[in-house]
Amino acid sequence: MILQIALLAGLVLFSAFAILARDLIKSAISLAVASLFLGVIFFRMGAPYAGVFEISVVAGLITVLFVLTIALTKAEGDVRESTLARTVFPLFFVVFALIDVLVMKGLLRKVPVLAAAAEAGSFSDVLWKARTFDLVGQIAVILAGVFAVLALFRKRDHHE
Amino acid sequence: MNDAWTIYLAVAAALVLAGLYCLLTMRNLIKLFIGIEVVSKGVSLALLATGWARQSVLVAQSLVVTFIVVEVSLVATALALIINIYKNTKSLDVRKLARLKG
Repeated sequence: MILQIALLAGLVLFSAFAILARDLIKSAISLAVASLFLGVIFFRMGAPYAGVFEISVVAGLITVLFVLTIALTKAEGDVRESTLARTVFPLFFVVFALIDVLVMKGLLRKVPVLAAAAEAGSFSDVLWKARTFDLVGQIAVILAGVFAVLALFRKRDHHE
Repeated sequence: MNDAWTIYLAVAAALVLAGLYCLLTMRNLIKLFIGIEVVSKGVSLALLATGWARQSVLVAQSLVVTFIVVEVSLVATALALIINIYKNTKSLDVRKLARLKG
């Protein structure tokens, strides 16, 4: 459990750094490291497929997309972030974390106990048989994303 | 088990709050998107932690995988939008979008 808490602390710290860092590249890389921590947490919770997806897709692909966008825009210098927002964030975050830790246990006691039964079968059984509709939704979302990107990068005709 | 669940959900809530704070206070479009990513990390942690606490990791895992696929699609579309906005306004400042007319 100690290692798990250390991983959670790393996840929170790197996520906070991603928000606070002035340099966008540092922010993107910090976000990738936070994803790496989250992937390892997933592995340790017995969810290897979610861990693999988190590390390969979120820490890998999304970081590449972020870095590419930052390289294509090159305009971070012209946006001045509010200094007050940056200064207040750590204080705000620490206060929230304290309240969060104190209140969360009481809140969770009020959640009605859900049925907990050990699952049978493998991940592929659950994903392909029990959650088939989710897969249809995933395919629809991927196609929507592809068409949206194609539409956004379409070269306009001179007649338009 | 229940204590660990509390810790996971507390961390997930902290991540969601940090992301929301970023969304409310930052002005750079890419930074706003990093805020959305932080929120999504909190949500996926909460999903899997709850599945783990209720001994249904497999269902939670398939939900997280679905969530990640949707997230990637969202990121690709939104970053393409950001590049298009940059081409039009030559800036990543979200306040300049308020001046758009149409």
